[in-house]
Amino acid sequence: MKRRRFLAAGCLCGLGAPLLARAQAQEGAAEWHMPERFARPESSSDEGGLWSLMDREEARLRRSPFTIRDTELHARVHGMVCNLAGSHCPDVRTYLMHTPYFNASMAPNGMMQVWSGLMLRVDNEAQLAAVLGHEVGHYLARHSLEQLRTAKSHAAAATVFAMFGAVGAIGQVGVLANFSGYSRDHEREADRIGLTLMRGAGYDPAQASRIWENLLLESKANPAANRPSPLFASHPAPEERMEVLEKLAQANPGGVTKESEWSQAVKPFLHEWLADEVKRGQREESLALLGRKIASSPAAGEYLYARAETYRLRGNEGDLDAALADYLAAAGNAGPAESHRGLGTVYRARKQMPEAKASYQRYLELAPAAPDAAMIKSYLEEIGT
Amino acid sequence: MMRNMKTLVAALLVLALSACANVAKMDKGDQALGERLMVTLDGPWNQVNAPGLGPAQTWTMEGLPVDQLRIYSGIKDGEAIFTGGAGQNAKRIDFRSTMQADDIVGMFESMLTRDGSTFKLDKLEPWSFAGEKGFRFEFTFTRKIDGVVNSGVGYGTVSKGELFALLYAAPRLGFFPRHKDKVEQMARSARLKA
Repeated sequence: MKRRRFLAAGCLCGLGAPLLARAQAQEGAAEWHMPERFARPESSSDEGGLWSLMDREEARLRRSPFTIRDTELHARVHGMVCNLAGSHCPDVRTYLMHTPYFNASMAPNGMMQVWSGLMLRVDNEAQLAAVLGHEVGHYLARHSLEQLRTAKSHAAAATVFAMFGAVGAIGQVGVLANFSGYSRDHEREADRIGLTLMRGAGYDPAQASRIWENLLLESKANPAANRPSPLFASHPAPEERMEVLEKLAQANPGGVTKESEWSQAVKPFLHEWLADEVKRGQREESLALLGRKIASSPAAGEYLYARAETYRLRGNEGDLDAALADYLAAAGNAGPAESHRGLGTVYRARKQMPEAKASYQRYLELAPAAPDAAMIKSYLEEIGT
Repeated sequence: MMRNMKTLVAALLVLALSACANVAKMDKGDQALGERLMVTLDGPWNQVNAPGLGPAQTWTMEGLPVDQLRIYSGIKDGEAIFTGGAGQNAKRIDFRSTMQADDIVGMFESMLTRDGSTFKLDKLEPWSFAGEKGFRFEFTFTRKIDGVVNSGVGYGTVSKGELFALLYAAPRLGFFPRHKDKVEQMARSARLKA
């Protein structure tokens, strides 16, 4: 405990100025103060039991092949979490998870998970900070403990656990995977705290409502959008949330977005994350996401290729034309070598054999060791005969 | 409290599965798999029959979920190889008779990664399967549910607009090396009725 208090004192000195800003009252919210660091609860208590469960889950995350172990990206995101968490920074561990859904969660023991589907979707650091700040808000307000104590049944307790754990138990969740067990009031409070934290960390709070705008765009693109989303069922209505976040942001404007920094940071991962997105098989949601990204992205080649694949795999009327246009645009905009393979596939389907041959040949020139090289060569032989 | 609950859930699951699933022995020798596909086995396999396994026959040597051989026999144009989820998360993966080898591999990849598992294609090559022009592929597949890294191999062909394919995956260490030759032998023995 002495060591913890010492560390806390050190952090408070170093981060004193932002913390003062964080403590400022926001419009429509009671004044909020950063609580002191939390001591580890007695293991015999209900909270101690929850921590133990989370510790076990965290041990699993450390070994998980789905943990992204890139030191540079981890340092960036963990740095953001730390900055948002202020004096609680020494108690926080961040895990970047290779999981293609929009989600982040922070467990009561300080374990923060950030999923690749979230990192793919945010347009800048400020948007990520808004989500991370929201999760830190739940942590600082100890909402999970409150939920646990409110829980009247084993099933409810299991829900509390599922909020943070069970890395594998995501089979039936969609793009909005933050299947939170928190109440609407908790969500509203976490939004307010998160916005205070992100502003204190120097980010533009106006970006918080953009996330909801973007998610709604994807959600409404889904033909099944009229059915209630699991996220929206437990959260305040997104329209209400956007409005409140906008008002809160207007009361305390300013800050940075760090868009170009974020684009550079995720560039090495885009190809893999976009492939994951295409594999989700939610074509309309992916098209909404990719259309938005293409409209504003400096790395359009990767996004164009992903959209071309999505069109080709959806296979509706006119999709092959749309795929062809995007493959061509990707090939001309530093898209991956697979753009040429896609062109070959489309041309072959249209019986445009000279174009198909040229495209497959270009693919093999660019990716001679591709795992499917032998298959592509066999296509070329067929075309040649 | 959580441990008791987990035990209860596990017990219920075992009861439910034992009520619905059954295992049949597939003997050494010739076996008809559907209406057109025949293979010759060099040893026995276990066939698992249970709800939700889809249009594929599911076989195993070690027991599910350790290793799994999926056999697709006569899948028709537009037929789903997987359906699952609900509402906004509903997912259906259909076979199209116009699919090329890489599309078919992509279709299996979508099925295997539906829960966030990862799939890496290691090799895709032309291969004569069941006497037809087909393909063979190798892959690495990491299961989301437990993080176990699996190796896999698949074989397939499209004949008269119908898909015939074998897809085998098992943990990379131990189980896959133990059984891959049996699977390869089975694939080599495959033939189609006219």
